[in-house]
Amino acid sequence: MTDNDQILGLINLRKSLILSAFIIAFSLVRPVLAEESINMEHKPDAPSFTRSTATYNVPDVAVIRQDGKKLSFIKELDDGRPVVMSFVFVSCSAICPMLTHVMSKLQTKLDQEKQQAHLISISIDPESDTPAKLTEYAKKFGAEPGWDFYTGTRAVSLSLQKAFNTYRGDKMNHTAVILMRSKPGQPWLRVEGFLSADAVFQEYSALSR
Amino acid sequence: MISPFTYFPGAGRGFQRLVSNCWLLCLFLLSLASVGHAEPSAANNAEVEMGRKIYMEGMRPSGESLKGMRQSSVQVEGATAACETCHRRSGMGSLEGNIVVMPITGRFLFATAENRPLALVDPREAKNVTRAHAPYNDESLGKAIREGINVSGAKMSPLMPQYALTDVEIKAVSSYLKQLSSDLSPGVGESSLRFATIVTPGVDPQKSKVMEDMMRRAFEQRNASQQTYSGRMRSPLDLLPRTLRNWELTVWVLEGAPETWAAQLAEKYRSEPVFAVISGVSTTTWAPVHNFCQQEKLPCMFPSVALPPVETGYYPLYFSRGVTLEAEVLAKHLRSEDKSVPKRLVQFYRDDEVGRGAAKALTDALKDFDIKIENRALDDKDLAHLKNTLKDISSKDAVMLWLQSADLTAVSKAAPKQVPAVAYVSGFLAAENYSFISKAWKPNVRVVYPYELGAKREKNQQMMKGWLKTWQLPLVDEAFQSEVFFNVLFLTDLSSQMLDNLFRDHLIERAEDMLSFGSNVSAYPFLGLSRGQRFASKGAYIARFGKDGKLGADSEWLVP
Ligand code: HEC
Repeated sequence: MTDNDQILGLINLRKSLILSAFIIAFSLVRPVLAEESINMEHKPDAPSFTRSTATYNVPDVAVIRQDGKKLSFIKELDDGRPVVMSFVFVSCSAICPMLTHVMSKLQTKLDQEKQQAHLISISIDPESDTPAKLTEYAKKFGAEPGWDFYTGTRAVSLSLQKAFNTYRGDKMNHTAVILMRSKPGQPWLRVEGFLSADAVFQEYSALSR
Repeated sequence: MISPFTYFPGAGRGFQRLVSNCWLLCLFLLSLASVGHAEPSAANNAEVEMGRKIYMEGMRPSGESLKGMRQSSVQVEGATAACETCHRRSGMGSLEGNIVVMPITGRFLFATAENRPLALVDPREAKNVTRAHAPYNDESLGKAIREGINVSGAKMSPLMPQYALTDVEIKAVSSYLKQLSSDLSPGVGESSLRFATIVTPGVDPQKSKVMEDMMRRAFEQRNASQQTYSGRMRSPLDLLPRTLRNWELTVWVLEGAPETWAAQLAEKYRSEPVFAVISGVSTTTWAPVHNFCQQEKLPCMFPSVALPPVETGYYPLYFSRGVTLEAEVLAKHLRSEDKSVPKRLVQFYRDDEVGRGAAKALTDALKDFDIKIENRALDDKDLAHLKNTLKDISSKDAVMLWLQSADLTAVSKAAPKQVPAVAYVSGFLAAENYSFISKAWKPNVRVVYPYELGAKREKNQQMMKGWLKTWQLPLVDEAFQSEVFFNVLFLTDLSSQMLDNLFRDHLIERAEDMLSFGSNVSAYPFLGLSRGQRFASKGAYIARFGKDGKLGADSEWLVP
C-alpha cells in the first residue's frame, strides 16, 4: 500500500472533499440547483428486492455455534438439508432485526408446512458476538431448533462473507441478503433487498420443487 | 512529507489547495445557513417527555409499547420500534448498509430554504448529503410516520416502519424533535472547538509531555490546513471571517487523591467547557474521570488507561478493557491448555488500584478451574525486599507479574535461580520493557499481549513513526503514542464527517459506526465499535520470545 492510499484510507476524506467540491460548485453557481442535484438517493419505483443464482466456493473453516461447539462450517452446510442463510450481527439495529425477523417468520412457515430446512445466521461482528450473545439473540427472535447462529474468529467470518460475496468492507456496510440452496451441490439462490417472509417462502418453495 | 492532519495529504499540491478551499467554503456556506437558525420553541415539558418516551423507549403515553408496521404486519415493537434505533439519540440519523436514515431533528425537518442545515449522511458517498425538502409541519410529519410518505409525496424506504400514532402523539414527537440537538454542545465556540486531555497524578512526565506535544502538534497542523487558501478563492472567504472553528487543546492535570478529582474536574470544566476529552493517561484508577464524563454527557475518547471501569457508560470510549481483558485472555488460555497446567499460580501485583483490579479479575476468571491462586500484593517496602517474597517459587509454579516496568526491574534483581514453570507478564503494564528478564527465565516467560505483533505491527506503526520524525518528537512508548496518534487522526475523521453538526451524542454515534473505517495506525490488530460497544479491541495474544529475541505469537488471537 502506498502512503497516499494509506493516508486517504485512513482519514477517509477523499469523499468528503468531493462533497465539498460538489456543494461549492453548485452552490456558487445556482444554489437551488445544488438541492435538486443532491436529491437523488431514493428511487421509489425500484423493485424492493433482486434475485440471482450463483455458486460459491466455501472455505473449510471452523465456526463456533451458539451452544459453544466448534464445528466445520462445510459439514454444517452439507448435512443434506436445504439451507437458508443470512449474515447478521447482534448490535445492528435496523437491517439485521428486519432480516432476522423474516428468518423467524420463515421458520414458522416451514414448520407449518412440515419442511425441514437448516436456517443459518452468521455473525459479521464475531469478536463481540460470543456464543452466549448469539443464544440470547436467537431467543429474542424465537429461533427454534433447526436455526443456528455461528461465530468464530474475525478471519473466519471475513472469509465466509467474502466467499458468499456479502463482504462490503465493514460491518456497517452490509446489505440485506438471504441465500438459499435446496441441497448440497446445487447453486445458491441469492435474494437481496426488502423481503417479506412470504416472498422468501415462495422463493424457497420454488427452489425445492 | 507525511502530514495526516492536513485534509489532503499525499495529494498533489494543486489538488490539495483546491480542496482545502472547498472545505473552507463549505463551512462558510454552512455558517451562513446557521445565521438564520431559529430559537427552539419553549415546548411544553410534559409533551416533550411524552415524545421522548416514544422516540427513545418505544413507549406510548398509554403505557402500551410502540408497534411499527412493514408490509402490513407488525415487525418491530417496543425498544426496537423506538425512533432512536435508527435515527439515533442525537436525531442525526445513521447509515444502515446502503440505506440512509435521515436526520429528523427540528433543524432538519422544519427548516426553510434560508436556514437549512446540512449533514453528510453517508461518508462513503460524497453526494449523500441531506436533501432539500419543503418544511414539514405536524400534518406532513404525521403522514411520514403513519403512512411512510415523506413531505415531497414520495414513498419512503420500507426500512422506515409505519406507526399508528394519534394526533396527540405526533404532536409530542414533533415537540421532542424540535428541542433535540437544537443547540450546539458546550465547548463549541463561535470560532473555536475546544478539547481537553487529562493527566492523572503519578504519570511518567516523559509520557504526559509527549502526549501533549503530539496533540498540540496535530492540532496546529490541522488548524493550519484549515487556514491556508490560495488567491483564487480568497475573496468570498474574506467576506466572512471566522467561518472556521479552530481546535483548541487544554490539558487538565489532576492532583492528589482520586476522591478529589471529581471536584477538580468540575472546576476545570466550569472555567473552560470542552466539547470532548481526547486521549488522557493514568497509571492508576480512571473511575472518577469516567464518572465525570458520564455525568456531564462529555465524550471521553480512548484514554490510555490500564483499568477502565467495568461498568460501561455512554460517553466514555476505550481502546480495550485493559488488564481485565488480559486476565480473561490468560484464563481462557489456561483453560484451553492441553498440557498440564501448574497446580499453583502466584500473582504478584502492586498494592494499588490497577494491581488489585488485575489480580481480582484473574481470580474471578479462574473460578472453578483447578488451580490454586495465591496473591502477593507488593508495596514499596516489599519491592525493596523482593528476594523473600520470591524465594518459595519453584519450578512447578506459574507466576503472573501484574507489574509496571519499573517494578519489573526490581523483580529481575531479586529473581531466584529457580525458574518457575511459566512466568506470565502483563503486556499493558510492562509497556515493552522486558529488559528485566534474565537469560534463564526467558524461555519460560509468556507475555499476555494486547497488541499486534511482527511485520503487521511494524507496518501499521510506520506512519506514526514518520510523523514523529518529521516533527522531531521522541518515541518514548510506541503503543501508548500510537493510541494518542490514533485519537487525533480519528478525531479529524469524525469532525470531517460531522460537518457543522457539533453535537456530542452525534460524535459518539459517528465513533460507534465508523471506527473500523480506514487503515489501522494503532498498535492493536483491529479496532471496531458498534452500537452500545465501548471497548474497541477485544482480545490479546499469548506471546513468547523467539530465538531472535523478539516477541512472537504463541497462541491465536484470543477473545474471551
Ligand atoms: C428501522 C429504522 C427506522 C425506525 C425505527 C424509524 N425510522 Fe424514520 N426513517 C427511517 C429511514 C430509513 C428513513 C428514510 C426513508 C427514505 O427517505 O426513504 C426514515 C425517514 C423518516 C422521516 C422522513 C425524513 C425526511 O427527511 O423526509 C421521518 C419524519 C421519520 N423517519 C420519523 C421517524 C419517527 C418519528 C420514528 C419513531 C416513531 C422513526 N422515524 C423510526 C428509518 C427508521
